[in-house]
Amino acid sequence: MPLPTFDLHRPRSVAEAIALIDEDCVPYGGGTELLMAMRMGLMRPTGLVDLKRIPELGGIELGDGVLAIGAGASHDQIARHDLVATHAALLATAEQLVGNARVRAQGTIGGNICFAEPRSDVATVLVALDAALVLRSASGQRSVPAADFFLGPYWTVREPGELLVSVTIPLPAPTGVYVKFQTVERPTVAVAAVHRPDGAVRVVVGAVGELPTAADYADLGAVDADDLAARVEPVSDLTGSERYKRHVTQVIVRRAIAQLAEAS
Amino acid sequence: MTAEARVTVTADVNGVAVSEAVETRLTLAQFLRERLGLTGTKLSCEMQVCGVCSVLVDGEPVSACTYLAADVDGRRVETVEGLARGGALDPLQQSFVENFALQCGFCTPGFLMMATALLRRNPDPTEDDVKEYLDGNICRCTGYAPIVEAVLDAARRTKAADHG
Repeated sequence: MPLPTFDLHRPRSVAEAIALIDEDCVPYGGGTELLMAMRMGLMRPTGLVDLKRIPELGGIELGDGVLAIGAGASHDQIARHDLVATHAALLATAEQLVGNARVRAQGTIGGNICFAEPRSDVATVLVALDAALVLRSASGQRSVPAADFFLGPYWTVREPGELLVSVTIPLPAPTGVYVKFQTVERPTVAVAAVHRPDGAVRVVVGAVGELPTAADYADLGAVDADDLAARVEPVSDLTGSERYKRHVTQVIVRRAIAQLAEAS
Repeated sequence: MTAEARVTVTADVNGVAVSEAVETRLTLAQFLRERLGLTGTKLSCEMQVCGVCSVLVDGEPVSACTYLAADVDGRRVETVEGLARGGALDPLQQSFVENFALQCGFCTPGFLMMATALLRRNPDPTEDDVKEYLDGNICRCTGYAPIVEAVLDAARRTKAADHG
């Protein structure tokens, strides 16, 4: 099916991009989600604001106690970047598992987050890492914790006039594991389990429900897989019923905890 | 800075300079197949899942079904038509033939382009590396084993030739 018609804008700076975006004229990165939604008739913007020619959005750098990743960085760039491997290895691990090699080369972290597909590998890990999402608009800039950014499937706190410019991960970042069960192109259940710098253990269960579910525990022994499986709200679909997904959640949480124990 | 529903695309496609005015909504797959007549790039799922439309843009693999032709402006595109040189198959193509890595052939251009990208970034891949990199490409004929073997075989031969 052909794409609907649209105007293509190619700003060279974040300021130019912000001046263009609104409800009908939307940010466009790799297109792996947006172009699909447009072809299916789920979105019909009058204009696309191509972010790929804005150098400021592409960088990955250390600054002021955080690892800052430009919203335009591709999954593959992040998966292979030395700074990410050194300071936030868990994110590199998850990025290497996103979609397929083409989606990783085309798709950006910013697009993934802002599209808010509930089965996003990236979202689950960003919540585990206490990442923040930096949104800029004509009236200023704000930083939103990943745990507060997502409001529901395909729905975030980002206003139509705001542009996600970067993802920041506070350092030292938690270390841990990312384990998922997947039979199609996105996970059925995804679990990030990490040791936080303060010694606590955080477990985030993603993909299974509309929003990631996070829980903090004093130590590994305190993690209760059955309780977590009871707390998630699985979305029943072609990859499984609610009951089945609850069972898989409990299994994957146990596997993640076993791997985390082995790694530490 | 003006917005346009039509843009000019000037690109290097398999070493040939092309310049065409296109609608912004034209996909790279449509551009290659309908405007340039390069029908080696196939279309099937049009959801970035099956891999038959895989081509390389500046060396990176993309799904031409879900990629704007406008975005190849100023860039280098490689398709399956660009692999053979002077009538001689590329080593990877030759390896696909010798390992019976195709039957109907519909998925083959996509597998060849993905394998090309893989061997450039990792000239000496393990079997797991090959499986992981090609897991976004679907083949309904071969059962995949001959494809994986063909890629490993091409890597071995290239390595032997380099040391020969």
